[in-house]
Amino acid sequence: MTDDRSSVGWVNSPSPEPLTGLPKTRSQKPTRPASASATTLPYRSSNASLSSLFASTSTLPSRAGSAQIDTPSQETGSESLFLTASPGAVSSPTFLEDRSDDPRKLITRAFVPHVAVHASPDTDEILKEKGFEGGFREILRPFGERVHGKVTVRDSVGASRTWDDFGVRFVGLGDGIEDPRNGNHRNSNALPRGSFGSLDQGQALPGLRRGGDISAIEALVERHLAYAELVSGDYITDYLNYQDLSSQSSSSISPFFSLYLRRLLSAIPLTPHETFSHPVACVIAISSRNPSPIESLRQLYNTTSQGEKKLPVWVNNDYLRYYVLVHDEDKDDIAKSTVLFDQMKRHFGLHCHLLRLRSSQCLPTDDDSVRLPICNWISAAEELAEIQRREHSEDIEDPRPCLFDSDATAVRTFVREMVTQSIVPFMERCTATWNDQVASRRRGIGGRFISLSKRWTGFGAGRSSSGTGLAGGSTGSNSNYDALQGFYRPDAPEAIMRKLADYAFMLRDWKLAQSTYELLRTDFNNDKAWRYHAGANEMTAISTLLSPQAMTSKTRSETIDQMLDTAAYSYITRCSAPYDALRSLAVGAELLRIRGGSAADDASRWAIRILETRTLGEIGNALFTERVGACYGSRKGAGTGRWGSRRRKNAMWDVLAADIWLRLEKSLQAEKCLNNADALYQEIANGQERAEFDGMRSFIEELRVELQARRAPPQPAEGELEMANEQSNLMEVESEKMDQRHHRQSILGAPAAPFGTLDTDALSSVRTVGEQNEGPENQFEPN
Amino acid sequence: MSYYFAIVGTKDNPLFEHEFGTSKQGGDGVARFREEARHMNQFIVHSSLDIVEEVQWGNGQMYLKVIDRFYNNYVSCFLTGGNIKFLLLHAPTTPKAIRSFFVDVYEIWVKTLMNPFYHIDMEVRSPVFRSRVVAAGRKYL
Repeated sequence: MTDDRSSVGWVNSPSPEPLTGLPKTRSQKPTRPASASATTLPYRSSNASLSSLFASTSTLPSRAGSAQIDTPSQETGSESLFLTASPGAVSSPTFLEDRSDDPRKLITRAFVPHVAVHASPDTDEILKEKGFEGGFREILRPFGERVHGKVTVRDSVGASRTWDDFGVRFVGLGDGIEDPRNGNHRNSNALPRGSFGSLDQGQALPGLRRGGDISAIEALVERHLAYAELVSGDYITDYLNYQDLSSQSSSSISPFFSLYLRRLLSAIPLTPHETFSHPVACVIAISSRNPSPIESLRQLYNTTSQGEKKLPVWVNNDYLRYYVLVHDEDKDDIAKSTVLFDQMKRHFGLHCHLLRLRSSQCLPTDDDSVRLPICNWISAAEELAEIQRREHSEDIEDPRPCLFDSDATAVRTFVREMVTQSIVPFMERCTATWNDQVASRRRGIGGRFISLSKRWTGFGAGRSSSGTGLAGGSTGSNSNYDALQGFYRPDAPEAIMRKLADYAFMLRDWKLAQSTYELLRTDFNNDKAWRYHAGANEMTAISTLLSPQAMTSKTRSETIDQMLDTAAYSYITRCSAPYDALRSLAVGAELLRIRGGSAADDASRWAIRILETRTLGEIGNALFTERVGACYGSRKGAGTGRWGSRRRKNAMWDVLAADIWLRLEKSLQAEKCLNNADALYQEIANGQERAEFDGMRSFIEELRVELQARRAPPQPAEGELEMANEQSNLMEVESEKMDQRHHRQSILGAPAAPFGTLDTDALSSVRTVGEQNEGPENQFEPN
Repeated sequence: MSYYFAIVGTKDNPLFEHEFGTSKQGGDGVARFREEARHMNQFIVHSSLDIVEEVQWGNGQMYLKVIDRFYNNYVSCFLTGGNIKFLLLHAPTTPKAIRSFFVDVYEIWVKTLMNPFYHIDMEVRSPVFRSRVVAAGRKYL
């Protein structure tokens, strides 16, 4: 990877094309290691279209206003999300609401039904004319993230619950496929890095839309952090927000951690062991331009079930098909389309929709134009590509396409209708059926008997495997698990039950989900289907934590701890799937944290466990170290003395995080952590003079001094665009200097792998004296 | 292996600190903490006071055993009647040795307290005290 990077000289976008094509002075910069990519900052900090991408983590809410005042040249040309957001544009509610602190909301919104989009070429053509390079999927996607209005879901006992943040994900058919046997190789080749800068969304590889790549997430958060550092460079905004930053309570989620978590949960890869990203429905779309509409609908249907677009064998093919006729409002006759639509309804039943769109391109200057809202749940790789694309593009205009207000309303109505009238009822029906036919057989005394007899004798096998003829590939005589290829066939009862549990989870029926996962855990364990086993453990823990009932600390330590532990162990050791392990631990820790009390202790223990698993990169390491502190901080003590709180631990982890951030040259984050720690130590001293250990005090002072030295030099104000170019050279020189400065030796050893590298076995094993200096991470040397 | 022993007063203030290595299995009794990680010992011990404050109410004993862990470093605690904490940072070992060590140190500590010029939360600078702690460490750890 380093080889093709060094040939180009731009750290994150090795593709030579955009660089040679554009007369950029900065692109001739010498190569730097990836850790120093803070210096390869976007050279146009004032690019409004770029800044809108970073809006989700920006801590400077007043920036929109100041940008308008300071940069008249931009004001006319660009309409970024930030600038249009103020007068109540469509995108603002989703955008604001997504910064909410509640991780529970974040997690429920992450696991939502996936809807595949399969459009005919003529439909995509209409949308290309409108300026949507990604075709039909691109126009639907942002509207699916949050379905307009409330959605009512009936759970397994018949009680209705209403959700106002229900959503679906529109994906391309076959996005995010992972090879069932190569789960562990995924991280090495998932990122088509070479193609980042040059691709536009239309040609983007499907691999780009697959999440689950930790290194891409790290790179993305790094970009956001770098941007935040750059923006904070001007002292004025920093000064204005200084109070904000320091008074921010530590238990509230940091925007960067929130982003990390969101990207971790975005675009869940399509794997056999869980069905969250398996399509629940498929939108089959044709347009009114199609010469033989019914025929092509049939053809599209056929390609989803047997053609080249067919999903792998482990995906259940019985998902809902939803037929859409896209009517071209500008060119075609509505009467003809209505007739055609009636015909469609006769052929395909009720799951049809007539979507009326205008085919002419909408310009930002048009009266009733709205920008396509920003997608919040795209994969890290995709967002990274988008950031790079905007950095390289010349125009400061927001490249997001516009659409007419009427179109936006039509799409919104379509999505709502499809979700409330087709998808949710379909899922409810499926859960009810499967619950009746498969799962309830396993519950109760009879079901236990079946699983017992299945385990010990051959008798139960014929009944539970319901004659699917899988004996050929399975290991045991009576197991449905195909150990050779590593999956259950979709019609095996285990696979159906997993799907049932996932559907129940997506419909937010935690109780049903939890009880079903619970059943599956033992099944998978018996079959030695480790990845499935880990997944079932993970989801049992998560659904138990999500259900609102209270838990004693005893049951928690018996169930949740054990399940999370098993999940992490199975994912890492048996399946080498670090992404899944990280996901389960991070989600588990977050959910435990918000329970407060002694659960917060558990949360911090799991967060420390994440650090120990060494799945994280530098950025993740820093973020999670900070998070451990926050977990401790969310345990509030009792009474005036705050007995039982974890302020000292919180403070220590904040100091550690500050140290790591400083080594990553993220002085803004470091300062935040250090201030927080200082405040906590002050609080512990309770108004009296702080009588600390001298080593602690000197270390904190050392960090402070370092922080002062690292503070970025003042940068040009927003308005002085002409000066910016001259200064850029100057900045470059200074950043060179920064790099050459002697790095402070720190407690944590090599910057690449701070804490995680503490050897776990170093103390138990006896080493010879000669080896003593070999393990720099050990604090104790055995003799 | 190396040990870090600290006596912490009622206001989180260190009264006495001592680092030493093991004397068992041919050890020379010299601590081998990395120089740049020295302060981490203090951070770990200080942060474990949170746990001490919680554990002390649920346990009638003075020796509270291992109360906290930071990666592979364990913290054992002995709480005196005057709310002075003896904290020992160590690698996993037998709790019995640590207990004996604490009991010995407690005896020396009580003798120090009997000094009429000693006030509560005052730092202990006596070389005799230090040498006796060293001896206790050599004896048991």
